[in-house]
Amino acid sequence: MLPFMQRALIGGILVSCVLAYFGIFVILRRSSFFGDAVAHSSLTGVALGILLGLNPLLTAMLYAVMVSFVIPLLRKETRLPIDTLLGILLPVSMAVGVILLSITPGYQPELMSFLFGSILGISWGSIYLMIAVSVVLLTFLHLNQKKLFNISFDPKYATLLGIRVSRLDMIYHAGLAIAIVLGIQLVGIVLVNALLIIPAATARLFATSLATMILYAPIIAAVTTIGSLVLSYYLNLPSGPTIAVMSGLIFVGALLLKHKV
Amino acid sequence: MNTLLQLKTISVTYPGASHSSVESISFSLEPYSITALIGPNGSGKSTLLRAILGFIPHTGSIQFNGKPMKEQLHLVGYVPQRFQFDTSFPITVSEFLHLSCADQNFDHEIEELLTQVKMDGKKNAQLSELSGGQLQRILLARSLLRDPQLLILDEPEAGIDAGGEQSFYSLLNEMVKAKKLTVLIATHELDIVYSFARQVVCINRTMVCSGPPQKALNEDMFTKLYGHGLQFYGHHH
Repeated sequence: MLPFMQRALIGGILVSCVLAYFGIFVILRRSSFFGDAVAHSSLTGVALGILLGLNPLLTAMLYAVMVSFVIPLLRKETRLPIDTLLGILLPVSMAVGVILLSITPGYQPELMSFLFGSILGISWGSIYLMIAVSVVLLTFLHLNQKKLFNISFDPKYATLLGIRVSRLDMIYHAGLAIAIVLGIQLVGIVLVNALLIIPAATARLFATSLATMILYAPIIAAVTTIGSLVLSYYLNLPSGPTIAVMSGLIFVGALLLKHKV
Repeated sequence: MNTLLQLKTISVTYPGASHSSVESISFSLEPYSITALIGPNGSGKSTLLRAILGFIPHTGSIQFNGKPMKEQLHLVGYVPQRFQFDTSFPITVSEFLHLSCADQNFDHEIEELLTQVKMDGKKNAQLSELSGGQLQRILLARSLLRDPQLLILDEPEAGIDAGGEQSFYSLLNEMVKAKKLTVLIATHELDIVYSFARQVVCINRTMVCSGPPQKALNEDMFTKLYGHGLQFYGHHH
């Protein structure tokens, strides 16, 4: 197998599984707009990295984590609904990113790869970073799964159980923001929500318990990513959009199958 | 007199509100007693319960076993008025109850509780398949999983049909006796108050009255609580 394909498969499988796991909580909390807002606003982080000559992936992660902390604070202070706040943050932050990129001297080839992903061009250095971050995020989710489900189902009752809801929620949102930035490398800012939402939504169609949903979602995500990468390689298609389209097709197929059964 | 829970001058004002939702409420609960909290819609019953549970900030003092309430919340069980969740989300009754357990294996306790709340056989049912009455029984089982000393119920009859309501309260009465619980229950059902409560606390934003139902519930009190025009029929056993 070609080295770039090896790297794409390793990174793609890991990151899509992490996003699918987070996706279960995102669906339960009905907060899919959060993923979109963090992804789009991280363009400012990317632009800052390029402008300052730093690693854009790291600056995007830092910026996304900051955004994930700011959203609950704004909600507390303004008492505006979360979708209103995200609707303000998403376009403003993305526009700031575009302006910063426009004042950066020279042509910016990285912009397109951040918008639509460039998993086939990823370096071993980035793969090692992805592996390390993915392992930390999966460990966090696994160890705190019960608490996170409690918070997602019934945050008030979670406080009675002695769960520090605000603190854990903050860590969860920071982790989700980091996972989204990892996903940006795979499918780009515009399409990352496809990997966050669609595998978990497909799993929900067939799952009969939380346990089966937790099992199905990452499997669906990994199979979709492998199939899409192979298909995009042989048909010479852009990998990010192929993953998003394949995810959508699998969801529709699953929906049809469920109604037929 | 021995007291389990003591409230002194509890007031709650929601952020941005011009007046308090409850003001200067004081009462105490004896151990192993059932106390009904009554009042018209908007009288502050749910707000008061939420303040006791530490869900919202309040002024005044709440003591449990002589200690600040916030340090004793692990000894409190809670059944909400309505449990709203995404009904298309796949979660079984057993998984839902396991979420409220510590990390140890609670399979045996869960099976026992499901039998006690007359829901045996529903362990692997989806939460979304349950009727309103069945869901309230599961919420009651959830609240009992941690062996609470105090059980707080916020209008648990909401969302249950009349038949289910009667059987829920009979079950609650059985559980209270079997587990020696102290209960504070917000309700609109005066039959329930007369049948089960040893004490009644009537509020309408402020304290209206408290005492044994047969003494505290009279025509004057109902006029204060619900205004003129409400026909009062005395309840005799």
